[in-house]
Amino acid sequence: MSTESPLVVLPGETIDPSLIPTHKKNPLRLGPGLRHIPPSEIVPTVAGQLVVDHRKTSMWIEYNGGRYIPSKGDLIIGQIARSATDFYYVSLSPYTPNATLPHLAFESATKKTRPQLASGELVYARVSLANRHMDPELECVNSSTGEADGLGPLKDGMVFDVSLGFARRLLMAKSREEGKVEVLEALGEEGLAFETAVGRNGKVWVGSESVKTVVVVGRALRETDEKGLGVEAQRKLVKKLVREMR
Amino acid sequence: MPREAEPSANEKAFLLKALQDEQIRLDGREFDQYRPLELTFGDEYGVANVSLGKTKILAKASAEVTVPFADRPLDGIFTIATELSPMAAPHFEVNRPTETEVLLSRLLEKTVRRSGALDTESLCLVAGQKCWSVRVDVHVLSHDGNLTDAACFAVVAALRHFRKPDTSMENGVLTVYTPAEREPVPLGWLHSPFCVTWSFFGDEGETALLDADWMEEQVRVASVTISLNRHGEICQIAKLGGVPVEAVALLQCTSVALTKVKEFSTYLDDKLAEDTKRRDKGGFMAELRAENDRIVG
Repeated sequence: MSTESPLVVLPGETIDPSLIPTHKKNPLRLGPGLRHIPPSEIVPTVAGQLVVDHRKTSMWIEYNGGRYIPSKGDLIIGQIARSATDFYYVSLSPYTPNATLPHLAFESATKKTRPQLASGELVYARVSLANRHMDPELECVNSSTGEADGLGPLKDGMVFDVSLGFARRLLMAKSREEGKVEVLEALGEEGLAFETAVGRNGKVWVGSESVKTVVVVGRALRETDEKGLGVEAQRKLVKKLVREMR
Repeated sequence: MPREAEPSANEKAFLLKALQDEQIRLDGREFDQYRPLELTFGDEYGVANVSLGKTKILAKASAEVTVPFADRPLDGIFTIATELSPMAAPHFEVNRPTETEVLLSRLLEKTVRRSGALDTESLCLVAGQKCWSVRVDVHVLSHDGNLTDAACFAVVAALRHFRKPDTSMENGVLTVYTPAEREPVPLGWLHSPFCVTWSFFGDEGETALLDADWMEEQVRVASVTISLNRHGEICQIAKLGGVPVEAVALLQCTSVALTKVKEFSTYLDDKLAEDTKRRDKGGFMAELRAENDRIVG
């Protein structure tokens, strides 16, 4: 990753051709937020920070949108709206069309042993089909291996709303360096025992034995998100909340 | 009409568990603590912007000269219009009153209009022919619970901030002066009522909270709105259905409500004084001064 100051682009701006990574053999891959207008124009469609990865010859835009648009392979936390004959209707975000989750898309589910999920319960699922023209579809099992990989219904705990950009940073593999999000690690270092599931649709589920822990984690996440705290400020916030709790 | 978004079963169960077993609210407030209340006035007279946490309400007061009602020739007209639009939350529709909207306008009506907070007789200009019609429009910009308290505060603030044009009556001729000709005058205000809403949780309504946010409102089993002014005069108490609550608990709620209303009252007075000071141009002497500004070299 380059260490220069990040380049912020607006929709429709022209991108300096020297920034576009080129490679003899690998084709350039465009990520979310960029559009290719043949023959050689690359135009951003959202406002955000332009990120370029020379190793993978790819470029994309990091942006903080308001509404979640499902895309294939995303992990999300959905709420069961109701159950139909063969699938559940799952709501990914309020006031948008429901996604469908087949009854059999769970680990070791057969026609006889279906999971019984009531309306209002939360599930951690992966988006298996998403495009502009159809309602999205979900699955709770890795279709190639047949294992759940942590997907499935979420019991107890509490779910908190966060912004989409924050959820993306939490889900990054190197969230500490690249996403600048240390809140969860800091809370763990203070000795709190909890588990989390982050949904790309802006929801974070937190489960723990102790109710106070969940409340503290929720407040830490919400304040980090709302105020845009940096790493140092996150540590201070965590210390303050844990002190108040004790 | 899109249906209201419902919180998940996990959230509801967790909220109740936190309230009843651990006695904590999700945002760390005390049970009788309001969210931070902020009030700003607009540049025009009569515009009040209130935010109670994430609930934001804008109230605008305006007045025009019109014919009084035939059965009340000596009174002016005073109306409060509330409209919840999709700006507040996506499930509200314009011109399709939901239960929330009807309840909100009823409570505001009873609290501010029926209690006689505004002296309608002072709005009369010519008996039976001309009177002021004062109208307050309440716009809910963001709905995160407890619309009633915030809306009532905004209405009272807007009315106290508002100035109506000065008038004079000579030989049967009524002259209404523009703000440039004569300074506008405040409305005839008698007392300032405020609403305090309590929400109850638990099978018998044992846990009582002040100022519930949206999530807590979805889970509550009963609520009571008490309207009173800082002298302890109660305008109305509304408990519309819900789980029955102990009478003693209700009396305690009322006395805590009085403390909160006194706080609201002082806050509003301070804000109004601050606004007057800001607008004060120094009076006659400041206008007559002929000094140039000193240029410090």
